[in-house]
Amino acid sequence: MARRSKRKSRRGNSNTSMLLMMAAVVVLVVVAGAMALKPSQREQTHEQGQSFSVEDYRRDASRFTGNVYRIEGRVEHIETLGNDRIVAVAVPGNRQERLPLLVRSGAAGRVNLTRGDSFLFEVECCTGHTDDQREVKGVLVVRHVETK
Amino acid sequence: MKLSTPYLILLPLLCPVVSAQEQQAAPAAPAAAASVAQPVAPAAAPANTQAPELFGVEFPLLDPASDTVSYKGGVFDVGNNAVVRARFEKYLQQNPDVSEDARRYREKLEELVRVTQRNARSGKAVGGENMVKIGHGLYEMSEYPPDGGQSGALASAMASALAVQFANQKRDRENDKLQAEIDELVSHTNRLTNINTGRGGRTPGASSRGNGKGKASGGNASNTNSVRISHNTKKIAGHEAAQVKNDAESTAALALSKVNYQSMLVSLLLSRRFDHALIGANSYRHIFRDGDTTLKLEKDSQADKLFRNTAGMPPTVNSIASAASTARREVDQHMEAVNNLLEQNKLSDATQHLIEAVAVGEYMSSVSTFPTEKRRRIAEYWSLRRRVLTSLNARDYGTAEEIAKRMKELDRDFDDAMVMSYCAGKKQQSDLALRNAVKALQDGNDEEFNKYITEAGEIWPRNPRLAEGRKKLETIDSHDPVKQEFKTLISRSEFRTIYNEQSRFEVVAVDPELKEQYRDAITLIGTIDGMLAQLDVAAQQDTVIGPCMAYEMLLDKKKEDERFASDPLFTDALNRYALAGHDFVQALEQAAECEKRDELGSALACYYRAQCIYPGSRMARAGAERVSQLILQARF
Repeated sequence: MARRSKRKSRRGNSNTSMLLMMAAVVVLVVVAGAMALKPSQREQTHEQGQSFSVEDYRRDASRFTGNVYRIEGRVEHIETLGNDRIVAVAVPGNRQERLPLLVRSGAAGRVNLTRGDSFLFEVECCTGHTDDQREVKGVLVVRHVETK
Repeated sequence: MKLSTPYLILLPLLCPVVSAQEQQAAPAAPAAAASVAQPVAPAAAPANTQAPELFGVEFPLLDPASDTVSYKGGVFDVGNNAVVRARFEKYLQQNPDVSEDARRYREKLEELVRVTQRNARSGKAVGGENMVKIGHGLYEMSEYPPDGGQSGALASAMASALAVQFANQKRDRENDKLQAEIDELVSHTNRLTNINTGRGGRTPGASSRGNGKGKASGGNASNTNSVRISHNTKKIAGHEAAQVKNDAESTAALALSKVNYQSMLVSLLLSRRFDHALIGANSYRHIFRDGDTTLKLEKDSQADKLFRNTAGMPPTVNSIASAASTARREVDQHMEAVNNLLEQNKLSDATQHLIEAVAVGEYMSSVSTFPTEKRRRIAEYWSLRRRVLTSLNARDYGTAEEIAKRMKELDRDFDDAMVMSYCAGKKQQSDLALRNAVKALQDGNDEEFNKYITEAGEIWPRNPRLAEGRKKLETIDSHDPVKQEFKTLISRSEFRTIYNEQSRFEVVAVDPELKEQYRDAITLIGTIDGMLAQLDVAAQQDTVIGPCMAYEMLLDKKKEDERFASDPLFTDALNRYALAGHDFVQALEQAAECEKRDELGSALACYYRAQCIYPGSRMARAGAERVSQLILQARF
């Protein structure tokens, strides 16, 4: 009887292990799938738990709509219309790219965006409309700016 | 035109040859030829179309002042007349007549001239012996072939005239006999008349006794006397009629004989047998001893005008002698001048004098014995002179100039200024007409082109530029297929083919419509080639930015003018630079694609990417500005 119970207990332990292993596999698959669905990690900026790829953004910015990122970059160029600005920033580690960021009036707060300086931008990928109802997709709108 | 007696030399050699048609057909030599020969300038036809004739033969008049001959109202250049030219060239190619027969002939001729001149000076009658000597001498000379029977003809004319004189003398003697008989008959008749009237004398056989019987017998005698008187009267009338008849016959025969003899003298003068004419004229007063030497010329004939104009008096046989003597002298002077000029190597003037000497006195001793060597020198120069005239008449001014230069080399005194300036002027005229023709051709004005090209050809047929123009015209004539090919290439935008064969397609430029297309095609490909060469250099200097810059520039050109894209070299270059600047091109293309999809964030990022690769990119900057403005204007 004891043997049986041992055997049963061994069998019970092995089942538990099997379940644990299966659960681990499932977790790994889920994690891998989530990783696969995430943007490339080659050019990353810090985000609240997510990375940002400039190359992917160039291909299809709409995919990023609604996402919020924290991006570090150096201001290379500023285009102005009224009090609104489009700032072209160079992300660290990729000097051959410029990321356009829309800085609405007041979005920068007290931070003075000047060319050649690096900042931390909290941006959200948005879709807007022009006055003639033309869609403007995948634009990174700055919510907050911090001096680095 | 007034002509002096010595120079009015008759040239019968032209009479049977030069026709009115030839005059019209004779090309008008240009005035420039005056330096080598007077131009042929046919004058207007005379008002009186009936040509004046002398003894049925028309004759020309030579005017040495201008070296021209008047004939049938036209004026001809002696040096540029085909017949004179042929005679002169024949003379130049002949050997001098220095044979023994010729020498004897000339000696005999000179002797007869001297004899007749001496007799003429003596004033004495020549007498039968001298006339026989002259006649025999002439007949002897006529056996010499070059004499052409002229001496024999003169001798025959003399013999005929003398025969007429002898016949007249015979008639004179008959008249003397008749007159003696008339005188005797008149005397006899007078006696019979006196008997009849009883005023003296007795009737032969009548008795003075017995009145009645005497009266009866006296009446019979009176009747007999009357018959005799009547008979004598008739006989006297018959004799007188015979005398009148003889006188009339003598007068008519004498007049006819004079006309025949004078015609012979004029004929000899016409045929330039001046020695013979002089012999005949000097013998005239010894043949016709009536003292009348007036020439029986037809009124208003050329000869009549000739002698009347020169002397202003009725012409006489002495006029012929004077003309012949002067002509002989002039010919000898010409030949003396020829020899002197040849010694000075003045061929032009020597030739001019020789041709005048030959034209006037071809049979003169000084002309016929002119040495061969000198003839050849003048022949060479004459040949050049003739070729100049021929070239000028043929309007071959290039050749005329070359020959004039050669003549100048032979004779430094030869005045080639007129020939050269005339030729230069004509050549310029022709070139000017050609230039106008080319302009008309470029303007597409066929009428003007035909007019000017014809004018240029008429002025200077052998204009070398005319030949070039003809080649171009032939090219134009055959350019229709080329034109069609050109149009096809234009429609296919194969400008490179036109450019590569632009020399072949150049002819289509004569068509105003295609001219612009041709020019555009050449300009386009030239621009492309120049641009590609520059871009190639730039691309080699900077292998990153260079291709991007080249691509962008070619793309701009392609957008500006779609014809650029039709050029294979342009397209090849565009593809090559697109490959070399792949990242830049991809960024621009991706930007454009995103812009179409309203992915303006991506589009702007792409433009920024392109600017990072090629900072000077106009397309990237323009795209970025355009998209930025849209983003800035949008509401989120």
